[in-house]
Amino acid sequence: MSAPSGAARRGGNLLLGLWYVLVVAFLFAPIVTSIVYSFNVGSLGKQTSTFTGWTLNWFADAWNNVSLRRAVQVSLTASFWSAIIAVMIGSSLGFALVRHPNPLVRRLLSGLTYILLIVPETVVGTSLLLFYSVTRFRLGMPTLVAGITPLAIAVTALIVRAGALTLDRRLEDAAADLGAGRWNTIWFVVLPHLAPAVLAGALMSYVFSFDNLVISSFLTTPSINTLPVYLYGSLQYGPSPAVYAAATSVFVFTIVLVGLAGLLYRLVLRRGRPRK
Amino acid sequence: MAKISPTSTASPAGRHRAAGRALDHLFAALPALWLLGVFIIPLGFTVVFSFGRSSFGGIKLDFTLDNYAQALSGFYLDSFLRTIQFALSGCILCLLVAYPAALFIARQQGARRTALLVLVLVPYFTSFLIRVMSWQILLARGGPIEWLLNVTHLMPGPLDVLDTQTAVFIGLVYAYLPIAVVPIYIVLIRIPAGLIEASRDLGASAWQSFWHVTLPMSRPGLATAALLTGVPMLGELVIPALLGGDKGVLMGMAISQQYLATQKYALGSAMAVLVLLAVAVMVAVLVRLTRGFEEVSA
Amino acid sequence: MSKAFGSLSRRSLLTMMGAAPAAVAISQLLPAKALAAGALNIYSWPDYFSNDDLAAYAKKSGVTPNIATYNDNGALFSKLNSPAGAGFDIVIPSSGWIKQLADKNLLLELDHAKIDFSALDQSLLNRDYDPGNKYSIPKDWGLLGVVYDPDAVGGEIKTWQDFFDAGAKPNVSGKVRLTKDAGETVGPALWIAGKDWNTASADDIRGTKDFLKGFARHVKTFSGFDPAAMANGSIVLAQANQAAARGAIQQNPKLKWVVPGPHSEIWVDSYSIAAQAENVDQAYDFLNFFLSPDIQVKETEYLGYPAAIAGLQGKLSADTKNADLIFGGPGVDFSTLTSFIVNPDTIDVYQEVQNEVQAAAGA
Repeated sequence: MSAPSGAARRGGNLLLGLWYVLVVAFLFAPIVTSIVYSFNVGSLGKQTSTFTGWTLNWFADAWNNVSLRRAVQVSLTASFWSAIIAVMIGSSLGFALVRHPNPLVRRLLSGLTYILLIVPETVVGTSLLLFYSVTRFRLGMPTLVAGITPLAIAVTALIVRAGALTLDRRLEDAAADLGAGRWNTIWFVVLPHLAPAVLAGALMSYVFSFDNLVISSFLTTPSINTLPVYLYGSLQYGPSPAVYAAATSVFVFTIVLVGLAGLLYRLVLRRGRPRK
Repeated sequence: MAKISPTSTASPAGRHRAAGRALDHLFAALPALWLLGVFIIPLGFTVVFSFGRSSFGGIKLDFTLDNYAQALSGFYLDSFLRTIQFALSGCILCLLVAYPAALFIARQQGARRTALLVLVLVPYFTSFLIRVMSWQILLARGGPIEWLLNVTHLMPGPLDVLDTQTAVFIGLVYAYLPIAVVPIYIVLIRIPAGLIEASRDLGASAWQSFWHVTLPMSRPGLATAALLTGVPMLGELVIPALLGGDKGVLMGMAISQQYLATQKYALGSAMAVLVLLAVAVMVAVLVRLTRGFEEVSA
Repeated sequence: MSKAFGSLSRRSLLTMMGAAPAAVAISQLLPAKALAAGALNIYSWPDYFSNDDLAAYAKKSGVTPNIATYNDNGALFSKLNSPAGAGFDIVIPSSGWIKQLADKNLLLELDHAKIDFSALDQSLLNRDYDPGNKYSIPKDWGLLGVVYDPDAVGGEIKTWQDFFDAGAKPNVSGKVRLTKDAGETVGPALWIAGKDWNTASADDIRGTKDFLKGFARHVKTFSGFDPAAMANGSIVLAQANQAAARGAIQQNPKLKWVVPGPHSEIWVDSYSIAAQAENVDQAYDFLNFFLSPDIQVKETEYLGYPAAIAGLQGKLSADTKNADLIFGGPGVDFSTLTSFIVNPDTIDVYQEVQNEVQAAAGA
């Protein structure tokens, strides 16, 4: 009975591998397109769907467009801070969703997390606008960051919850029985188990914060404008390839950054390995 | 050894448990306080306004249920039901595409596994809108995908998929794929390989091992993925506008219009509260039914 | 799980969190133009001023304007209507919304002594949406018309009735674009019925519903006009403004453009100063710079939309392609064109019709 299973397993893995390759191709197709089309000449200063010619001008154009450049800066800054806050608060929430001793509190927190997802962004945006109007709080970077964290927090919390649901409670009990305090248990037992979930949550938070459109559009000020808001507005009269060039630059910048972070990670890994 | 009550602080373990409870309370309190300030209280304004009267761009505080009556009227109700159908289809499609990919990644080892997961996330480091706009370029008639389909004889002739429901679902799956892959992956990597081996040793085929061991144990991941994709899809308005020709009026657009085009904040608020209530009920029922958020330990 | 592995994950987590502030620091290093003494805050559509002209203004005045962008006139209204809208100096509303903004005291009454109107096209001034130009100065304008493929449509289009009839034809059905703007969808039906879209009653507006919903099944898209779609034939009949049509005709010279009778729309995106503006003098300075004829010519060539100065067509450089299309082409009777003015009593009825038409198209 076990003889054909080897072949079946390999066949199964091959199929899965093929699926994965298709998925990656599917995911990369538009990004390759957007990179290629940032070199497109376009027509009358607007982007076209057929390629009309190669030019590097749009990158300079995007740089000289002060409004676009500032929007990119604001987006990058806001999404980094949002990701940091969301990762801390979201992981905290995700863990509490599973481990808080009081079931009523867990249920309330659950409800809170769902509400974060359910409320349409337009409603959140206008609520915040109305709230800050009534309380006369000045709009700026802090309010923008605060406004886009809820969704990121929800995403992180649910991913960390999914990870925590696979954490065997007995491990924590064993640690406690061996005399470890709660903090030590969390630090040495829980966190390593949740590390993939927390990191995934951090990445997702960054991505969703960067791409936030609707809520951000309600919270922009003269000096705080974000890239998605700029892009969406450009659809009214037609985008020029300059915005594609800006997006390509952001992509390269982010890849480099994440690559650096990954390198740091491996460096730490190597240093931490016990020397024989 | 005498049984010591877990709540007594007489023993070191007991005292640690008490300190542990303080930490657990902190884990709950921190997010609760933050979200109270930046989310719940502003939302409270919306609930209050839903009972008010709209003037153009203004709200008169009042207590009336007119907004709710209007929000439940034929057209908006239709729109809500269609949106639910839309989100349900999108969610199922997304999970179907995501699961095998997550399974493949989870089966790899070590650094390779992380690299494969990161590869799935890399496209998301650039603006989502630009990628959707790029889909417009890709799916256009005379565009790259049409060329590919013609060259491989898969679907000869002009490609007319842009501005249709098909294009919207392509865009939807595209947008929500990582958010579906990640939670499924997170749960799959914790399923001990020993279980699968045991299942195979006992004579189950690869498919049976998957169906009876892997799939049930990945329930928390599936439930999370379903929630993270299906619910936000209810408020989706960008993809249907850019890839679907903006045909049909989904809930997200309907609510957004009240705030922007017709400036009737009270009506918009009422619609939002109704959506919130309806979806909360659906989610609660789903969670109860699938027991997807219960702990799964080996 | 050994203690060593646990400490690795922790440390790496911390390292990665350290990367984030580093990234923030790096992004702050990107040279942000130092804000000169005095500032100017503008709220506009994206990419609505040419980089060169903005740079020229910065050089001349020492002030680089901060331009924030909106993507919907309703968003402009919502933002200005709340205290969050404080801080904007110049805003660019479309003609339809100026009255509502003014009625809510969100716009400053312009001091005509401070602005040079002499170079502007007089026929664009003192229009119904802002009598006496108390609150706005025209920036650029557009017409609602139809761009179509004459072969597919099998003839010429001269009136809105022709447009709707053409849409029902077999080669055209399913390849039509209607706009998303409620006024521009309902307007043609009202004009066919002999009504005026600014004075139509709620019943008049609702009266167009059946007709438009019946037409909806021929419509492929309500999204932003895409010249490429017309160039490659997936759309053969579209409502569009003249600059967008010019873009399509540039890519496919077969296409034709017309402003159908008996009536159509002229919209005017305008400069206004926000009531709460803090840099009013700088605003006037900017306006006078941008309203000067040379700059207006350059802006027209950059945007493709005609600026508001007199005699513009003659001033464009000779190699501007299809220059006459920028102005709507030959034979446009401007006396038949009106601007839509958003009216709180009827706007929701317009939107109701638009929603039902869009829903019917998606069915």
